[in-house]
Amino acid sequence: MTGIKTFGNNSEGMETMIRMQNVNLVYPTGTAALKDCSLEIAKGEFVFIVGSSGSGKSTLIKTLLGELAISSGRIEVAGKNLANMKRKELPYFRRRLGVVFQEFRLLDEMNVFENVALAQRVVGVSSREKRRKNSLAMLEMVGLAKKLKAYPNELSGGEQQRVAIARAMVNRPAILLADEPTGNLDPENSWEIMKLLQDVHELGTTVLVVSHNEDIVNKMQKRVITLHKGQITSDARQGGYLQ
Amino acid sequence: MSTLWYGLKQGLKSIIQNKIFSLAAIGTITACLFLLGVFYSLFTNFQHMVYNAESTVGIIVFFDENATDAQISSIGEQIKARKEVERVDYVSAEEAWKRFQSEILEDQKELVNVFGNDNPLAHSASYEVYLKDVTKQTETVSFIQGLSGVRKVNSAQDAATGFGSFNMLIGYVSISIIVLLILVSVFLIYSAVDMGINVRKDEIAIMKLIGATDLFVRLPFIVEGIAMGIVGAAIPLVILRLMYESVVSFIMAHFSALSGWLAFVSTAKVFGVLLPLCMGIGIGIGVLGSTMSVRKHLQV
Ligand SMILES: Nc1ncnc2c1ncn2[C@@H]1O[C@H](COP(=O)(O)OP(=O)(O)OP(=O)(O)O)[C@@H](O)[C@H]1O
Ligand SMILES: [Mg+2]
Repeated sequence: MTGIKTFGNNSEGMETMIRMQNVNLVYPTGTAALKDCSLEIAKGEFVFIVGSSGSGKSTLIKTLLGELAISSGRIEVAGKNLANMKRKELPYFRRRLGVVFQEFRLLDEMNVFENVALAQRVVGVSSREKRRKNSLAMLEMVGLAKKLKAYPNELSGGEQQRVAIARAMVNRPAILLADEPTGNLDPENSWEIMKLLQDVHELGTTVLVVSHNEDIVNKMQKRVITLHKGQITSDARQGGYLQ
Repeated sequence: MSTLWYGLKQGLKSIIQNKIFSLAAIGTITACLFLLGVFYSLFTNFQHMVYNAESTVGIIVFFDENATDAQISSIGEQIKARKEVERVDYVSAEEAWKRFQSEILEDQKELVNVFGNDNPLAHSASYEVYLKDVTKQTETVSFIQGLSGVRKVNSAQDAATGFGSFNMLIGYVSISIIVLLILVSVFLIYSAVDMGINVRKDEIAIMKLIGATDLFVRLPFIVEGIAMGIVGAAIPLVILRLMYESVVSFIMAHFSALSGWLAFVSTAKVFGVLLPLCMGIGIGIGVLGSTMSVRKHLQV
């Protein structure tokens, strides 16, 4: 993906894709889900976010998506300061991001191809031929070119997640955010998905993966950011899952 | 398994509820616009007939037998001076007799000869008064009756003014009912769209995360509202169209005696107004109801 506007370089001279400075987020219920979080993620990095249940991982992903407004601090994603972003800009901002969830969230009444092509339609790719070409290329990449006509309920969990990744990637976002993408999958399928995320990373995409899976995190030897009760307690360059 | 069952039940329930609301909305719009159509057809035909009657019947003023020419022309001046009067025509006794001969006695030529050279209408010179405003007829008639030298005033008074005030009452009642039905329709469309949004909440959330604009997400629901409005307008238009022609031809066939008075407005003319009016109101209701719903539920 080219043409992404960046806004600075980090200490190693790489372009910064995500920057959080002293971010706090308090839910209307009073729960402080993020406390004084600061981090920088460079373009093209692969980062795991780990932490126990309720530590604020999903909240972090939602703030990056512009779904939740932070209470204080500063947050910049793909060159955009989210604090002063207008409501109208939000859809266009989100088109630079791909998202994958634990529960896949495919549309049940659409088949595999339509689910992926919908993402193209949503961003306004008006040529039917173009939508078809891009969607097929992505489904090819995730290994589902043979199941275009299948409906989500006819697929295994691993297959559904691959469709979800194809949908997230079909618009070639700069960043892929995955919130526990293997949470509902057995170890074998989990590894398939991880390999796929690695492929996505190799395309030059910045990848953020929230994971509970110690085995995977330890074996992948990527950067690992640990959250504990809303605070970043560790940030390891090539780390494992800390207890 | 129980979650699946629950989901299925909820889904089906809201779809059925949604269907019922959609049908209710369409039904109410249909009723509303049907009433509007009937009212408009009656109103426009009545107006047309009154206009016809006004320009054919008018008020006829007869003079005292010993009225002088000066008196007669003074009466004419005084009538003409009134604001509501459009035109005053003088019809001499000779003219009146000639007209009578040609119009009434046309088929009975032998009757005409009975009178020979006598004019049986010798004292029937008259003014024919045409009004701009038929509702002022009573007033005008009593004014003319008060003038000296006037023997008699003939008018189609009761028909015109009586029908006029009756018409007003029907008009107010109809308009109130139509407005009420429009409000109910807007509410029902609002509810139907609301149901649709609830059923598709997940889908909407996903589309927003993918980067769908507000318009992209809202459009299907607004289209749904407009579609209900169009269907709700099309049904009464088709029914009215079928009814109008058969009612007109029924009346023409069974009340041929009145055919001179009963001048109906052509179907094309009536529907030239009704078609855009009903479609406009139907679509307006659809847009209003769905926009309100979408605005309330699809923020962010
Ligand atoms: N919508 C909400 N309103 C109020 N509090 C919330 C909301 N969502 C999450 N929280 C609270 O914020 C904290 C962080 O939640 P979050 O979902 O980010 O945790 P998490 O790290 O993703 O956990 P898990 O691993 O279980 O998914 C928790 O204490 C949670 O109860
Ligand atoms: Mg979570």
